[in-house]
Amino acid sequence: MEMIQNFGLETKLFLFQLTNFLIIVFILKKFLFNPLKKALDERKRRIEQSLQDVQNAKLILENTGEEKKKILADAKVGADKLMASIKATADEAKEKTLAEAKSRSQQIIEEANNKASAEFENMNKQIAKMSVDASTKILSKVLSELFSEEEKQKLMSRALERIDEKITN
Amino acid sequence: MKISPDLLFNIAGFPITNTVITTLITDVILIVLVFIVAKSISIKPEKIQNAFEAILDYFRETTEDIAGERAAFICPWVVAFFLFILISNLVAQIPGFESIRFHTSTSGHHGYALLRAATSDLNLTLALAVTSVIATHVLAVKHTGIKFYITRFISFKIFPIFLFVGLLEAVNELAKFISFSFRLFGNIFAGEKVMATMYGLCPFGLPIPFIALELMVSVIQAIVFAMLTMAFMHIMTDKSH
Repeated sequence: MEMIQNFGLETKLFLFQLTNFLIIVFILKKFLFNPLKKALDERKRRIEQSLQDVQNAKLILENTGEEKKKILADAKVGADKLMASIKATADEAKEKTLAEAKSRSQQIIEEANNKASAEFENMNKQIAKMSVDASTKILSKVLSELFSEEEKQKLMSRALERIDEKITN
Repeated sequence: MKISPDLLFNIAGFPITNTVITTLITDVILIVLVFIVAKSISIKPEKIQNAFEAILDYFRETTEDIAGERAAFICPWVVAFFLFILISNLVAQIPGFESIRFHTSTSGHHGYALLRAATSDLNLTLALAVTSVIATHVLAVKHTGIKFYITRFISFKIFPIFLFVGLLEAVNELAKFISFSFRLFGNIFAGEKVMATMYGLCPFGLPIPFIALELMVSVIQAIVFAMLTMAFMHIMTDKSH
Protein backbone atom coordinates (compact mmCIF):
# COMPACT_ATOMS: atom_id res chain seq x y z
CA MET A 1 0.00 0.00 0.00
CA GLU A 2 2.83 2.33 0.91
CA MET A 3 4.53 1.47 -2.38
CA ILE A 4 1.38 2.36 -4.30
CA GLN A 5 1.26 5.68 -2.47
CA ASN A 6 4.93 6.29 -3.30
CA PHE A 7 4.19 5.86 -6.99
CA GLY A 8 1.29 8.25 -6.67
CA LEU A 9 -1.30 5.72 -7.76
CA GLU A 10 -4.76 7.06 -7.13
CA THR A 11 -8.09 5.60 -8.22
CA LYS A 12 -9.52 8.91 -9.44
CA LEU A 13 -6.42 9.75 -11.48
CA PHE A 14 -6.21 6.24 -12.84
CA LEU A 15 -9.88 6.28 -13.92
CA PHE A 16 -9.42 9.75 -15.42
CA GLN A 17 -6.44 8.58 -17.47
CA LEU A 18 -8.28 5.43 -18.52
CA THR A 19 -11.40 7.33 -19.63
CA ASN A 20 -9.29 10.00 -21.28
CA PHE A 21 -7.39 7.46 -23.33
CA LEU A 22 -10.57 5.62 -24.37
CA ILE A 23 -12.03 8.93 -25.57
CA ILE A 24 -8.83 9.56 -27.52
CA VAL A 25 -9.05 6.10 -29.07
CA PHE A 26 -12.67 6.77 -30.06
CA ILE A 27 -11.80 10.16 -31.61
CA LEU A 28 -8.80 8.76 -33.43
CA LYS A 29 -10.80 5.84 -34.79
CA LYS A 30 -13.76 7.93 -35.87
CA PHE A 31 -12.07 11.04 -37.19
CA LEU A 32 -8.61 9.90 -38.20
CA PHE A 33 -8.28 6.20 -38.72
CA ASN A 34 -11.44 5.50 -40.71
CA PRO A 35 -11.29 8.55 -43.07
CA LEU A 36 -7.55 8.10 -43.56
CA LYS A 37 -8.01 4.40 -44.22
CA LYS A 38 -10.70 5.24 -46.78
CA ALA A 39 -8.37 7.76 -48.46
CA LEU A 40 -5.52 5.25 -48.47
CA ASP A 41 -7.74 2.50 -49.86
CA GLU A 42 -9.14 4.85 -52.50
CA ARG A 43 -5.63 5.89 -53.52
CA LYS A 44 -4.54 2.26 -53.61
CA ARG A 45 -7.60 1.44 -55.72
CA ARG A 46 -6.82 4.29 -58.13
CA ILE A 47 -3.17 3.26 -58.41
CA GLU A 48 -4.22 -0.34 -59.05
CA GLN A 49 -6.78 0.89 -61.58
CA SER A 50 -4.12 3.01 -63.30
CA LEU A 51 -1.73 0.07 -63.37
CA GLN A 52 -4.52 -2.10 -64.76
CA ASP A 53 -5.26 0.54 -67.40
CA VAL A 54 -1.59 0.68 -68.36
CA GLN A 55 -1.55 -3.11 -68.57
CA ASN A 56 -4.69 -3.07 -70.71
CA ALA A 57 -3.25 -0.35 -72.96
CA LYS A 58 -0.08 -2.40 -73.31
CA LEU A 59 -2.14 -5.45 -74.17
CA ILE A 60 -4.21 -3.48 -76.69
CA LEU A 61 -1.01 -2.13 -78.23
CA GLU A 62 0.41 -5.62 -78.46
CA ASN A 63 -2.84 -6.89 -79.97
CA THR A 64 -2.88 -3.98 -82.41
CA GLY A 65 0.65 -4.84 -83.47
CA GLU A 66 -0.31 -8.44 -83.93
CA GLU A 67 -3.49 -7.44 -85.74
CA LYS A 68 -1.44 -5.14 -87.96
CA LYS A 69 0.92 -7.99 -88.74
CA LYS A 70 -2.02 -10.28 -89.42
CA ILE A 71 -3.68 -7.69 -91.67
CA LEU A 72 -0.42 -7.20 -93.54
CA ALA A 73 0.04 -10.94 -93.87
CA ASP A 74 -3.58 -11.31 -95.04
CA ALA A 75 -3.10 -8.43 -97.48
CA LYS A 76 0.07 -10.04 -98.77
CA VAL A 77 -1.69 -13.36 -99.19
CA GLY A 78 -4.59 -11.57 -100.94
CA ALA A 79 -2.22 -9.63 -103.17
CA ASP A 80 -0.33 -12.81 -104.04
CA LYS A 81 -3.60 -14.56 -104.82
CA LEU A 82 -4.74 -11.61 -106.91
CA MET A 83 -1.43 -11.49 -108.74
CA ALA A 84 -1.59 -15.22 -109.40
CA SER A 85 -5.16 -14.89 -110.58
CA ILE A 86 -4.29 -11.92 -112.82
CA LYS A 87 -1.31 -13.79 -114.18
CA ALA A 88 -3.44 -16.86 -114.84
CA THR A 89 -6.10 -14.73 -116.53
CA ALA A 90 -3.47 -12.92 -118.55
CA ASP A 91 -1.84 -16.21 -119.54
CA GLU A 92 -5.22 -17.60 -120.45
CA ALA A 93 -6.06 -14.49 -122.47
CA LYS A 94 -2.66 -14.64 -124.12
CA GLU A 95 -3.11 -18.30 -124.91
CA LYS A 96 -6.59 -17.66 -126.19
CA THR A 97 -5.48 -14.70 -128.30
CA LEU A 98 -2.56 -16.69 -129.65
CA ALA A 99 -4.82 -19.63 -130.41
CA GLU A 100 -7.33 -17.34 -132.02
CA ALA A 101 -4.62 -15.60 -134.02
CA LYS A 102 -3.14 -18.93 -134.99
CA SER A 103 -6.49 -20.29 -135.99
CA ARG A 104 -7.31 -17.05 -137.84
CA SER A 105 -3.99 -17.10 -139.66
CA GLN A 106 -4.52 -20.76 -140.43
CA GLN A 107 -7.93 -19.90 -141.72
CA ILE A 108 -6.53 -17.01 -143.77
CA ILE A 109 -3.81 -19.23 -145.14
CA GLU A 110 -6.34 -21.92 -145.90
CA GLU A 111 -8.63 -19.39 -147.54
CA ALA A 112 -5.71 -17.99 -149.52
CA ASN A 113 -4.67 -21.49 -150.52
CA ASN A 114 -8.22 -22.32 -151.55
CA LYS A 115 -8.48 -19.08 -153.46
CA ALA A 116 -5.10 -19.69 -155.07
CA SER A 117 -6.11 -23.23 -155.93
CA ALA A 118 -9.38 -22.01 -157.35
CA GLU A 119 -7.58 -19.29 -159.30
CA PHE A 120 -5.04 -21.77 -160.43
CA GLU A 121 -7.75 -24.16 -161.54
CA ASN A 122 -9.63 -21.37 -163.17
CA MET A 123 -6.52 -20.22 -164.96
CA ASN A 124 -5.78 -23.77 -165.98
CA LYS A 125 -9.27 -24.04 -167.32
CA GLN A 126 -8.94 -20.74 -169.14
CA ILE A 127 -5.56 -21.73 -170.46
CA ALA A 128 -6.99 -25.07 -171.48
CA LYS A 129 -9.94 -23.34 -173.09
CA MET A 130 -7.69 -20.85 -174.81
CA SER A 131 -5.42 -23.64 -175.91
CA VAL A 132 -8.49 -25.58 -177.14
CA ASP A 133 -9.70 -22.51 -178.98
CA ALA A 134 -6.28 -21.90 -180.38
CA SER A 135 -5.93 -25.55 -181.28
CA THR A 136 -9.37 -25.54 -182.81
CA LYS A 137 -8.50 -22.49 -184.82
CA ILE A 138 -5.15 -23.91 -185.88
CA LEU A 139 -6.65 -27.28 -186.55
CA SER A 140 -9.58 -25.83 -188.52
CA LYS A 141 -7.15 -23.73 -190.51
CA VAL A 142 -4.91 -26.73 -191.20
CA LEU A 143 -7.79 -29.01 -191.88
CA SER A 144 -9.56 -26.55 -194.11
CA GLU A 145 -6.59 -26.67 -196.31
CA LEU A 146 -6.03 -30.49 -196.26
CA PHE A 147 -9.43 -32.09 -195.81
CA SER A 148 -12.94 -31.76 -197.18
CA GLU A 149 -15.70 -30.31 -195.19
CA GLU A 150 -17.03 -33.68 -194.10
CA GLU A 151 -13.62 -35.11 -193.12
CA LYS A 152 -12.86 -31.94 -191.50
CA GLN A 153 -15.96 -32.20 -189.43
CA LYS A 154 -15.18 -35.81 -188.43
CA LEU A 155 -11.58 -35.09 -187.49
CA MET A 156 -12.55 -32.07 -185.57
CA SER A 157 -15.18 -33.81 -183.57
CA ARG A 158 -12.78 -36.69 -182.82
CA ALA A 159 -10.07 -34.28 -181.81
CA LEU A 160 -12.40 -32.32 -179.69
CA GLU A 161 -13.64 -35.45 -178.02
CA ARG A 162 -10.07 -36.47 -177.22
CA ILE A 163 -9.27 -33.02 -175.90
CA ASP A 164 -12.34 -33.09 -173.76
CA GLU A 165 -11.33 -36.46 -172.42
CA LYS A 166 -7.84 -35.18 -171.58
CA ILE A 167 -9.22 -32.16 -169.93
CA THR A 168 -11.68 -34.11 -167.87
CA ASN A 169 -8.91 -36.53 -166.86
CA MET B 1 11.74 15.28 -8.25
CA LYS B 2 9.30 12.83 -6.72
CA ILE B 3 8.14 9.58 -8.32
CA SER B 4 4.53 10.57 -7.83
CA PRO B 5 3.09 13.53 -9.72
CA ASP B 6 2.66 16.78 -7.80
CA LEU B 7 -0.81 17.80 -6.71
CA LEU B 8 -1.39 21.34 -7.87
CA PHE B 9 -5.01 21.89 -6.86
CA ASN B 10 -8.41 20.19 -6.64
CA ILE B 11 -11.52 20.76 -8.74
CA ALA B 12 -14.66 19.46 -7.06
CA GLY B 13 -12.61 16.95 -5.15
CA PHE B 14 -10.75 15.79 -8.24
CA PRO B 15 -6.98 16.11 -7.89
CA ILE B 16 -5.31 18.09 -10.64
CA THR B 17 -1.67 17.08 -10.89
CA ASN B 18 0.98 18.38 -13.26
CA THR B 19 0.72 15.15 -15.29
CA VAL B 20 -3.04 15.64 -15.63
CA ILE B 21 -2.41 19.07 -17.15
CA THR B 22 0.15 17.56 -19.56
CA THR B 23 -2.31 14.82 -20.44
CA LEU B 24 -4.90 17.47 -21.29
CA ILE B 25 -2.33 19.40 -23.37
CA THR B 26 -1.50 16.14 -25.20
CA ASP B 27 -5.23 15.59 -25.80
CA VAL B 28 -5.65 19.08 -27.21
CA ILE B 29 -2.63 18.74 -29.54
CA LEU B 30 -3.77 15.34 -30.73
CA ILE B 31 -7.39 16.36 -31.25
CA VAL B 32 -6.42 19.56 -33.07
CA LEU B 33 -4.09 17.59 -35.37
CA VAL B 34 -6.76 14.97 -35.97
CA PHE B 35 -9.34 17.59 -36.88
CA ILE B 36 -6.91 19.45 -39.14
CA VAL B 37 -6.26 16.19 -41.00
CA ALA B 38 -9.92 15.12 -40.97
CA LYS B 39 -11.02 18.49 -42.34
CA SER B 40 -8.62 18.51 -45.26
CA ILE B 41 -8.44 14.84 -46.04
CA SER B 42 -7.83 14.21 -49.73
CA ILE B 43 -6.43 11.70 -52.19
CA LYS B 44 -3.40 13.97 -52.68
CA PRO B 45 -2.17 14.36 -49.08
CA GLU B 46 -0.88 17.61 -47.58
CA LYS B 47 1.91 17.91 -44.98
CA ILE B 48 0.13 16.75 -41.80
CA GLN B 49 -1.99 14.18 -43.60
CA ASN B 50 1.20 12.82 -45.14
CA ALA B 51 2.77 12.37 -41.70
CA PHE B 52 -0.31 10.65 -40.30
CA GLU B 53 -0.62 8.50 -43.41
CA ALA B 54 3.01 7.42 -43.12
CA ILE B 55 2.42 6.37 -39.50
CA LEU B 56 -0.87 4.65 -40.28
CA ASP B 57 0.52 2.92 -43.35
CA TYR B 58 3.58 1.69 -41.48
CA PHE B 59 1.54 0.18 -38.66
CA ARG B 60 -1.10 -1.18 -41.03
CA GLU B 61 1.47 -2.95 -43.18
CA THR B 62 3.31 -4.28 -40.12
CA THR B 63 0.08 -5.49 -38.54
CA GLU B 64 -1.05 -7.08 -41.81
CA ASP B 65 2.31 -8.86 -42.11
CA ILE B 66 1.91 -10.27 -38.62
CA ALA B 67 -1.84 -10.74 -38.18
CA GLY B 68 -3.21 -10.79 -41.73
CA GLU B 69 -6.93 -10.01 -41.89
CA ARG B 70 -7.12 -9.34 -38.15
CA ALA B 71 -5.10 -6.17 -38.78
CA ALA B 72 -8.40 -4.35 -39.40
CA PHE B 73 -9.33 -4.36 -35.72
CA ILE B 74 -5.81 -4.50 -34.21
CA CYS B 75 -4.35 -1.56 -36.11
CA PRO B 76 -6.58 1.25 -34.70
CA TRP B 77 -5.53 0.35 -31.16
CA VAL B 78 -1.88 0.18 -32.11
CA VAL B 79 -1.97 3.56 -33.86
CA ALA B 80 -3.86 5.14 -30.96
CA PHE B 81 -1.29 3.92 -28.42
CA PHE B 82 1.58 5.05 -30.60
CA LEU B 83 0.25 8.55 -31.29
CA PHE B 84 -0.85 9.24 -27.73
CA ILE B 85 2.39 8.04 -26.15
CA LEU B 86 4.55 9.71 -28.81
CA ILE B 87 2.90 13.10 -28.44
CA SER B 88 2.84 13.01 -24.64
CA ASN B 89 6.53 12.02 -24.63
CA LEU B 90 7.53 14.66 -27.19
CA VAL B 91 5.59 17.42 -25.44
CA ALA B 92 7.76 16.82 -22.40
CA GLN B 93 10.90 17.37 -24.49
CA ILE B 94 10.06 21.01 -25.22
CA PRO B 95 12.85 23.04 -23.60
CA GLY B 96 11.76 24.75 -20.39
CA PHE B 97 8.83 22.39 -20.04
CA GLU B 98 9.36 21.75 -16.34
CA SER B 99 10.77 25.15 -15.53
CA ILE B 100 7.36 26.79 -15.06
CA ARG B 101 6.72 26.58 -11.35
CA PHE B 102 3.46 26.45 -9.47
CA HIS B 103 3.27 27.39 -5.82
CA THR B 104 0.92 25.73 -3.36
CA SER B 105 0.84 25.62 0.41
CA THR B 106 2.81 22.37 0.36
CA SER B 107 5.17 23.13 -2.50
CA GLY B 108 7.86 24.90 -0.53
CA HIS B 109 10.15 27.63 -1.79
CA HIS B 110 10.71 26.32 -5.36
CA GLY B 111 7.12 25.29 -5.94
CA TYR B 112 6.04 22.39 -8.14
CA ALA B 113 6.61 22.03 -11.86
CA LEU B 114 3.40 23.09 -13.58
CA LEU B 115 4.01 20.58 -16.33
CA ARG B 116 5.52 17.11 -16.18
CA ALA B 117 5.71 14.33 -18.75
CA ALA B 118 2.34 12.57 -18.68
CA THR B 119 3.98 9.19 -19.15
CA SER B 120 6.10 9.73 -16.06
CA ASP B 121 2.89 9.24 -14.08
CA LEU B 122 2.18 5.61 -13.24
CA ASN B 123 -1.56 6.36 -13.27
CA LEU B 124 -1.37 7.03 -17.00
CA THR B 125 0.99 4.18 -17.91
CA LEU B 126 -1.09 1.76 -15.85
CA ALA B 127 -4.26 3.04 -17.53
CA LEU B 128 -2.62 2.45 -20.90
CA ALA B 129 -1.49 -1.02 -19.82
CA VAL B 130 -4.96 -1.91 -18.52
CA THR B 131 -6.55 -0.64 -21.73
CA SER B 132 -4.11 -2.62 -23.86
CA VAL B 133 -4.54 -5.87 -21.92
CA ILE B 134 -8.34 -5.61 -21.59
CA ALA B 135 -8.76 -4.66 -25.24
CA THR B 136 -6.57 -7.63 -26.15
CA HIS B 137 -8.73 -9.99 -24.10
CA VAL B 138 -12.01 -8.55 -25.41
CA LEU B 139 -10.76 -9.02 -28.97
CA ALA B 140 -9.60 -12.53 -28.09
CA VAL B 141 -13.09 -13.48 -26.82
CA LYS B 142 -14.70 -11.84 -29.85
CA HIS B 143 -12.52 -13.52 -32.44
CA THR B 144 -11.65 -16.92 -30.96
CA GLY B 145 -14.84 -17.54 -28.97
CA ILE B 146 -15.34 -17.73 -25.22
CA LYS B 147 -14.72 -21.50 -25.13
CA PHE B 148 -11.32 -21.28 -26.78
CA TYR B 149 -10.46 -18.23 -24.67
CA ILE B 150 -11.20 -20.10 -21.41
CA THR B 151 -9.22 -23.16 -22.52
CA ARG B 152 -6.16 -20.92 -22.78
CA PHE B 153 -6.21 -20.63 -18.99
CA ILE B 154 -8.15 -23.68 -17.77
CA SER B 155 -7.59 -26.93 -19.60
CA PHE B 156 -7.64 -30.50 -18.30
CA LYS B 157 -5.83 -31.96 -21.28
CA ILE B 158 -2.88 -34.20 -20.22
CA PHE B 159 -3.72 -33.36 -16.63
CA PRO B 160 -2.10 -31.51 -14.88
CA ILE B 161 0.32 -30.20 -17.53
CA PHE B 162 -2.11 -27.97 -19.40
CA LEU B 163 -3.62 -26.75 -16.15
CA PHE B 164 -0.16 -25.63 -15.13
CA VAL B 165 0.41 -24.05 -18.56
CA GLY B 166 -2.90 -22.21 -18.14
CA LEU B 167 -1.76 -20.94 -14.77
CA LEU B 168 1.45 -19.70 -16.32
CA GLU B 169 -0.59 -17.98 -19.04
CA ALA B 170 -2.68 -16.24 -16.37
CA VAL B 171 0.43 -15.09 -14.55
CA ASN B 172 1.84 -13.92 -17.87
CA GLU B 173 -1.27 -11.86 -18.53
CA LEU B 174 -1.10 -10.28 -15.07
CA ALA B 175 2.58 -9.55 -15.58
CA LYS B 176 1.69 -7.59 -18.72
CA PHE B 177 0.07 -4.90 -16.55
CA ILE B 178 3.30 -4.45 -14.69
CA SER B 179 5.66 -4.78 -17.66
CA PHE B 180 3.67 -2.40 -19.87
CA SER B 181 3.16 0.26 -17.22
CA PHE B 182 6.56 0.17 -15.53
CA ARG B 183 8.58 -0.01 -18.75
CA LEU B 184 7.09 3.19 -20.09
CA PHE B 185 6.94 4.90 -16.72
CA GLY B 186 10.52 3.90 -15.84
CA ASN B 187 12.02 5.03 -19.12
CA ILE B 188 10.34 8.41 -19.17
CA PHE B 189 10.76 9.08 -15.47
CA ALA B 190 14.43 8.13 -15.64
CA GLY B 191 14.84 10.39 -18.65
CA GLU B 192 13.30 13.27 -16.75
CA LYS B 193 15.63 12.63 -13.84
CA VAL B 194 18.64 12.57 -16.14
CA MET B 195 17.55 15.77 -17.86
CA ALA B 196 16.96 17.53 -14.52
CA THR B 197 20.41 16.46 -13.38
CA MET B 198 22.04 17.66 -16.60
CA TYR B 199 20.24 21.01 -16.46
CA GLY B 200 21.35 21.27 -12.81
CA LEU B 201 24.97 20.56 -13.68
CA CYS B 202 25.32 22.85 -16.67
CA PRO B 203 22.24 24.26 -18.38
CA PHE B 204 24.22 25.43 -21.47
CA GLY B 205 25.29 22.77 -23.96
CA LEU B 206 25.48 19.76 -21.68
CA PRO B 207 21.79 18.73 -21.97
CA ILE B 208 21.87 18.79 -25.80
CA PRO B 209 23.04 15.15 -26.33
CA PHE B 210 20.62 14.07 -23.62
CA ILE B 211 17.77 15.90 -25.36
CA ALA B 212 18.62 13.91 -28.50
CA LEU B 213 18.72 10.74 -26.44
CA GLU B 214 15.40 11.55 -24.81
CA LEU B 215 13.81 12.27 -28.18
CA MET B 216 14.97 8.86 -29.30
CA VAL B 217 13.67 7.22 -26.14
CA SER B 218 10.32 8.99 -26.60
CA VAL B 219 9.89 7.54 -30.09
CA ILE B 220 11.26 4.12 -29.17
CA GLN B 221 9.00 3.77 -26.13
CA ALA B 222 5.94 4.71 -28.17
CA ILE B 223 6.91 2.14 -30.81
CA VAL B 224 7.66 -0.53 -28.18
CA PHE B 225 4.28 -0.07 -26.47
CA ALA B 226 2.41 -0.11 -29.79
CA MET B 227 4.34 -3.10 -31.16
CA LEU B 228 3.89 -5.13 -27.98
CA THR B 229 0.16 -4.39 -28.05
CA MET B 230 0.10 -5.52 -31.67
CA ALA B 231 1.99 -8.72 -30.87
CA PHE B 232 -0.19 -9.57 -27.87
CA MET B 233 -3.39 -8.84 -29.77
CA HIS B 234 -2.18 -11.04 -32.62
CA ILE B 235 -1.25 -13.89 -30.28
CA MET B 236 -4.50 -13.73 -28.31
CA THR B 237 -6.75 -13.54 -31.38
CA ASP B 238 -4.99 -16.36 -33.18
CA LYS B 239 -6.22 -19.88 -32.44
CA SER B 240 -2.93 -21.48 -33.41
CA HIS B 241 -1.13 -19.81 -30.50
